[in-house]
Amino acid sequence: MNFALNEEQTEIRDSIIRFARQELSVSADEANGFPHAAWRKCAEMQLMALPFPEEYGGCGADFLTTVVATQAFGYACKDAGLVHAVCTQILCGMQINSFGSEELKHRYLPSLVRGEKIFAQAITEAGSGSDALGMRTRAELAEGGYLLNGTKIFITNGPVADVVLVFAVTNPEVSRISGISCLVVEKGMSGFTQCAPMAKMGLDTLQNGELVFADCPVPAENLVGSAGQGAILFNESMEWERCLLPAAHLGTLERIFETSVAYAKGRSAFGQPISKFQAVSSKIVEMKMALELGRLMLYKVATTKDQHKRAALEASIVKLYISEALKKTCLDAVQIHGGYGYMKEYEVERDLRDSIAATIYSGTSEMQQNIISRFIGL
Amino acid sequence: MKVVVLVNAVPDTAATPEIAPDGRSVLTEQLEFVLDPYDEYAVEEAVRLKESLGAEVIAVSIGGDVARKALRCAFAMGVESGVLVRLPGGMELTGRGRSFCLLPTLRELSPDLILAGKQTVDSDDAQVPERVAELLDFVHASAVSQLTIGEGARLLVNREIEGGHLVIDLPLPAVVTTEKGINIPRYPALPQVLKAKSKPLHEVAPPLDVDLTAGWQVESVTLQHTARKQQIFSGDIITGVQQLAELLRQDA
Ligand SMILES: Cc1cc2nc3c(=O)[nH]c(=O)nc-3n(C[C@H](O)[C@H](O)[C@H](O)COP(=O)(O)OP(=O)(O)OC[C@H]3O[C@@H](n4cnc5c(N)ncnc54)[C@H](O)[C@@H]3O)c2cc1C
Repeated sequence: MNFALNEEQTEIRDSIIRFARQELSVSADEANGFPHAAWRKCAEMQLMALPFPEEYGGCGADFLTTVVATQAFGYACKDAGLVHAVCTQILCGMQINSFGSEELKHRYLPSLVRGEKIFAQAITEAGSGSDALGMRTRAELAEGGYLLNGTKIFITNGPVADVVLVFAVTNPEVSRISGISCLVVEKGMSGFTQCAPMAKMGLDTLQNGELVFADCPVPAENLVGSAGQGAILFNESMEWERCLLPAAHLGTLERIFETSVAYAKGRSAFGQPISKFQAVSSKIVEMKMALELGRLMLYKVATTKDQHKRAALEASIVKLYISEALKKTCLDAVQIHGGYGYMKEYEVERDLRDSIAATIYSGTSEMQQNIISRFIGL
Repeated sequence: MKVVVLVNAVPDTAATPEIAPDGRSVLTEQLEFVLDPYDEYAVEEAVRLKESLGAEVIAVSIGGDVARKALRCAFAMGVESGVLVRLPGGMELTGRGRSFCLLPTLRELSPDLILAGKQTVDSDDAQVPERVAELLDFVHASAVSQLTIGEGARLLVNREIEGGHLVIDLPLPAVVTTEKGINIPRYPALPQVLKAKSKPLHEVAPPLDVDLTAGWQVESVTLQHTARKQQIFSGDIITGVQQLAELLRQDA
């Protein structure tokens, strides 16, 4: 077993860190709305192109390299909203690339990898989040394709998206596993409305909102995969998502760990650095352990996905472990920084607010526990 | 047209160096190395010549794995191939030694133009390009802030001098070192970083027929600790702000 990254991966990591530090240094709180300028820079850097075949303008990197790159991005870019938006773009592309027809791939992947079009994926509805397959949005067979009706909520990139992968019930007669399909809807299609972004606790630059479909006609060729394949697509995509988003989180965790170490060494109380107090150092020790342990599992999942194997259990463990560790790390970092930690100037309070969502989206922590216990056979 | 660009890796300026126990060198294991920022200008300029004139661009460096990294950074920016004069581990060279090491490679490549950064950012050395120019009997212009290829194998360069500009017309072959501001070096996009791995990197041994020893040695290295000047304005806020503004105007 070799635990080292290869030369290519370290160079990708170093380039992204350098790029993000120098080019994306704006304070996330100052940004107003979707960070279009920073998005374009990420696109020029070809961050969104990483895992896609070269024939569509991609870099042809494997998933592990994409994960390492995302980790570096989460580490060096303080705008967690931007990082999340970019991850969503990549995840939409992976679904099109793995399940879409050749025609859909040629139609969408080149503009996706170049960041020219913004992509979103819409599963959650007001009445169904954790119970994702309990969705009500309906895609009825109609002439030339489907007629879409329903409302999605909390959709990342939704308010600014050019292209949305919409999951809807195509056949209510069969089981939930085989009655759902994934359809591509484009901005400007009749009957499709993108609502204003919702105000949130954190992830300020991320745009999340409702998408309304009222008799929206979708051509049959916009079906991703075959009819009824939606749940399979969703499950596969969740494995990637529960690896890619935690990769970004682990990067952020590493940055906060380093910030906390530096602060604890530099801040004195009672005549010595606060790092010498065990109650402080043990918090930092926990951060370091989460970083090292999370990384091992993260790379394991990524490697498993590169071998085209299922990793649902492992992906849930990674998602649960890293998102909870990030939340705790942020909370402890604020505590270690004392009063300064609570002030915006020191930036750790923003990381804390951003981190709260990590244990909610992509399946809540409780849902990950359910998945893990199901795999154990409980 | 053939362009050679000399590159060098230096510790990332954001890193905090530590002095080795012998007090004569800096510990390098913990340091992150990057392509020297001055060399980045040279690489960018070379790559632009490749793009505009179809010049063949080769990067050359001296050292070990750190130098390899500098070459790969240059590859990611668009240089097509490189030569590394591989030094045995632990071997340190002065500017003189480096120039002699480069000589056989440069003679063999026989470039029309050699580009390099105007100095290294770590030790502020500015010797190698000048020495190389001398050894090869090339003309030379240092700290150039603008470069144009002219008619009939000539080169027009711009140097910023105290209070003005100097435009120099040089014949090729020439050695030119680059100053900040000559261009804005590109960020290599990720596919270029990935492609860098497969670009040809040729390693050669240093020449045996010259004495590469320095003839001098470093006596000691120390870190400079700059104490912050602190000043507190007491009294009412209006006067305090006025005093502060005055101080900023005078001292800052
Ligand atoms: C920032 C952000 C971005 C998002 N982006 C997207 C997106 O791009 N696309 C998209 O489709 N959705 C997106 N979502 C929605 C997200 O996936 C859902 O909010 C999430 O799955 C939870 O669903 P819910 O909000 O309906 O909560 P509910 O499902 O109502 O859950 C409420 C609580 O009950 C618990 N609970 C529910 N069922 C169980 C159970 N069986 N056992 C134990 N506990 C249970 C949950 O864990 C939670 O604590 C996003 C959400 C956020 C916050």
